[in-house]
Amino acid sequence: MLEAFWRRVFRFERRKARDGEVVLTLRRVYILPARAGLAFTVLLLLMLVGATNYTLGLGFALTFLAASCAMADMLLTVKNLAGLRLAGGRAAPVFAGDAAQFEIHLHNAGNADRYAIRVGFGTDAAAEHAADVPARGSAAVALALPARERGWLRAPRIHLETRFPLGLFRAWSWWQPDLRVLVYPHPETPAQPLPMRGAASEEGHGEVGLDNFAGIRSYQPGDPLRHLAWRQIARLAPEDGGQLVTKHFEGGAVAELALDFALLPQHLDVEVRLARMTRWVLDAEQRALPYSFRLGGHTYAAGLGDAHRAACLQALALYGREEVP
Amino acid sequence: MKALGPLTRDKQDTLLLVAAALLVVAPHFGHLPWWITGTVCVTLLWRVLLTLRGRRLPPIWLLLPIALIAMGGVFQSYGTLLGRDPGVAMLALLLAFKLLEMHAKRDLYVVLFLGFFLMLTNFFYSQSMLTGLAMAATLVVLLTVQITFQYTGTVPSLGRRLRLAGKMFVLATPLAAALFVLFPRFDGPLWGMPGDAQGPRSGLSDTMAPGTMTNLALSEEVAMRVRFDGAPPAQDRLYWRGVVLSHYDGRTWSRIGGRLYRRAGDAMTLRVDGKPLPYEVTLEPSQRRWLFTLELTPPALDVRGERVGVSDELESFTVRPIHQRVRYRAAAFADYAVQAGLDPALTGKWLQLPAGFNPRTRELGRQLRAEPGTTDMRIMARVLGHFRTQRFTYTLQPPLLGRDSIDEFLWVSRQGFCEHYAGAFVFLMRAAGIPARVVTGYQGGELNPVDGYMTVRQSDAHAWAEVWLAGHGWLRIDPTAAVAPERVRLGIGGALPREAPFGLSAFQNNKDSWLARLRFHVNAANNAWNQWVLDYNPERQRNFLAELSGLAGDWRVLAALPALLALGWLWRRLRARRRRDPVQTAWERFGVLLARRGIVRTPDEGPHSLARRVAALALPEEKKAAMAEFLELYAALRYRALDDDERHRSARRLAKLLSLSR
Repeated sequence: MLEAFWRRVFRFERRKARDGEVVLTLRRVYILPARAGLAFTVLLLLMLVGATNYTLGLGFALTFLAASCAMADMLLTVKNLAGLRLAGGRAAPVFAGDAAQFEIHLHNAGNADRYAIRVGFGTDAAAEHAADVPARGSAAVALALPARERGWLRAPRIHLETRFPLGLFRAWSWWQPDLRVLVYPHPETPAQPLPMRGAASEEGHGEVGLDNFAGIRSYQPGDPLRHLAWRQIARLAPEDGGQLVTKHFEGGAVAELALDFALLPQHLDVEVRLARMTRWVLDAEQRALPYSFRLGGHTYAAGLGDAHRAACLQALALYGREEVP
Repeated sequence: MKALGPLTRDKQDTLLLVAAALLVVAPHFGHLPWWITGTVCVTLLWRVLLTLRGRRLPPIWLLLPIALIAMGGVFQSYGTLLGRDPGVAMLALLLAFKLLEMHAKRDLYVVLFLGFFLMLTNFFYSQSMLTGLAMAATLVVLLTVQITFQYTGTVPSLGRRLRLAGKMFVLATPLAAALFVLFPRFDGPLWGMPGDAQGPRSGLSDTMAPGTMTNLALSEEVAMRVRFDGAPPAQDRLYWRGVVLSHYDGRTWSRIGGRLYRRAGDAMTLRVDGKPLPYEVTLEPSQRRWLFTLELTPPALDVRGERVGVSDELESFTVRPIHQRVRYRAAAFADYAVQAGLDPALTGKWLQLPAGFNPRTRELGRQLRAEPGTTDMRIMARVLGHFRTQRFTYTLQPPLLGRDSIDEFLWVSRQGFCEHYAGAFVFLMRAAGIPARVVTGYQGGELNPVDGYMTVRQSDAHAWAEVWLAGHGWLRIDPTAAVAPERVRLGIGGALPREAPFGLSAFQNNKDSWLARLRFHVNAANNAWNQWVLDYNPERQRNFLAELSGLAGDWRVLAALPALLALGWLWRRLRARRRRDPVQTAWERFGVLLARRGIVRTPDEGPHSLARRVAALALPEEKKAAMAEFLELYAALRYRALDDDERHRSARRLAKLLSLSR
């Protein structure tokens, strides 16, 4: 009852949290003086002693004003954090060894802008991000976390902290978001050649011609422009290593690409086999060679494209850890 | 601000910090040695140039020697590194140098906190209202700087940052006021007040030589403020007794004995009659020990925190020099007799005259005494009559007098100020064998109609005479009144009308001019400032809290508090409601209204779909029309682009339709 009253008085809360979201209520926000705040206390004591010793009426006034400003700072620091609504955002899959990005949305339903809110996992201060959340607006930060193992990677607890406006106090809160990122196995390096099994075509050995699409290869001067593989070119920006690629046609053999986990040498470690499968999926996609996929209970007919790729990679990521969290 | 536009944020922030530092030290320039002011200014300028050019800060091996040299300079200037003034000088230098040695955020706080403390030290030198205002402004700027350095991303404009700092200041004020009133105050200094705690001030001294009083007469400085419990006495009754001077060395009148002992005199007999007139004096710090009392106040002063003494000559004094404003209550009597029964043998010391000075005056005294059948009273009357009739003038610019100053004054110049008249009169009395002495103090005072306080200024300093007559005791005689009765009747302003500056009549010392009224208001404000801000001491705190608790017992206050709280709550509610979207409110109410008629809106149902269901209702036509229009208007308000004016009109129409649909 009393808490509800204060909530109303300070208008910390305007909206109820939806599932997977949280509003940082007053109870969830902790506050302690920062080191600058402790130094400020010492300063105030010195000022008080000076004012007393020299009986400076205005000295008392200044000391008490400064102390009250610190109190106002405490209130504003709490208010800067309290009432913030947090929600998880996109969490795109990554390969093991890369950094997983967790997107966090900060919504501010209040009438005051919020500044300098540091968001991080609380483990590494340098990896924190600072965000400003405008009044009745929102901001998003993406927190990176190294993905070491394949499988689901859950977001750790998120630490939110602010010292705004005066830096004398440190207000902080913790939030466990309901966020996870799928981590694909790390693709094998160096890459093994794709397991192409040439099957004789019905026409027998044909001439090298333009009939049979056999994947793509790097553009070489002299290739006809109409053979450029626009779809693949568009997928990769040049700064990401993208380059001009040409459709490659072979006559004669129809390559059938089947990626089957069971066909891989059994003496290899499971993780190595998974890594190899991953690499092959990527290579096949890059060269735009349709491929079929088999892994444990997952069997996908030959196909190509983002959905196919994602399904295959997910199967690889979760192989042996099928338990859905 | 335009010039700062293209600067990076870092540079802008630094320049703001330098500006704040300048704002903090600038008030100190008035009392710091010139070379420190110069060093501080050059250092700040150096920092500004480094910032503008994007150069690195100077290395520590360059700064450290400069700082050490500056410290040496401070020692050279003050002869010490301890104490108030050298401390302030070092703080100012430190602030400037620290701006050149900033690497981490921690250093920023060092600069800011130094700034806070330097602001406090400024009050050693001035605590006027203006200083208070300047402090408030500086505090807001310092807060702005501190806020500025906290931003991590976007930085709002300087104006918005100032407003945020201002908001913090406003938020802080009530708490600060409560702390100011309630925070326990302690008496006196925590450690020995350094001798330089207060600078020299003009004030009444322990001696009187030609020129002593005239110098004071030009000072508008306040000596004390007095509040009478009843109506103040007439101007010519306002004699504020201070120091009694008896010893004359031919040029200077001084006290007998010199040292003051804390005792009530053995030979002092005092008889008072009539109704006492209570009053309260707030005495400005004079660096001396004298307390001034209205003649005649029996010696029973109680000054908080001070030990008080009284001499045989009815001088009141404190044991320590008065470094801060003191306040004391007393009661004066109009009818009194002092030492009426004094043994004539004891009055010998009041007849002392230096040998070899003023032979003509001595001779005159002897002649007066030698006249047959004369009495002390008659001699006095003759001398005063002489002053009155012999074209003596009262002036602030008396001519310089030579060795036999009293002879010269009586027979040659005949122009003088109160000190001349009192001195000459006492000399003449003594020459005629009448015990006499000079009393210095203040005469008069200006009543401020705004707050009822009477202000006594240094210019009201006055000297008069006391003569002892057997059976009567010491009688006050003011020879100045014989020459310039208006001095006593109207005060110093009435006796010496000053020329109107700039020839403007408004500036004349006229009680009805707007300037005079303005002056009264300023004085009253200054007095209130002194009484409540500067002199809010433990005693005043106790009294105020007692008054406050008395007030809290009053049922009206008890009733008003909850009423105020309720009003505040209502105001919040109203404001919150106004802030809500009126269109949304109307829509929700409309939903309730429909529900009562059996139409429950599904979450995905829009106004048009509702309109179809409303049309099917069995209701009077005009009601249905109103509902249909409501829904249409709502759809328009929600989904159509309208200008503000149109939106406003539609919203009002919507409210109207809502009541029609009921």
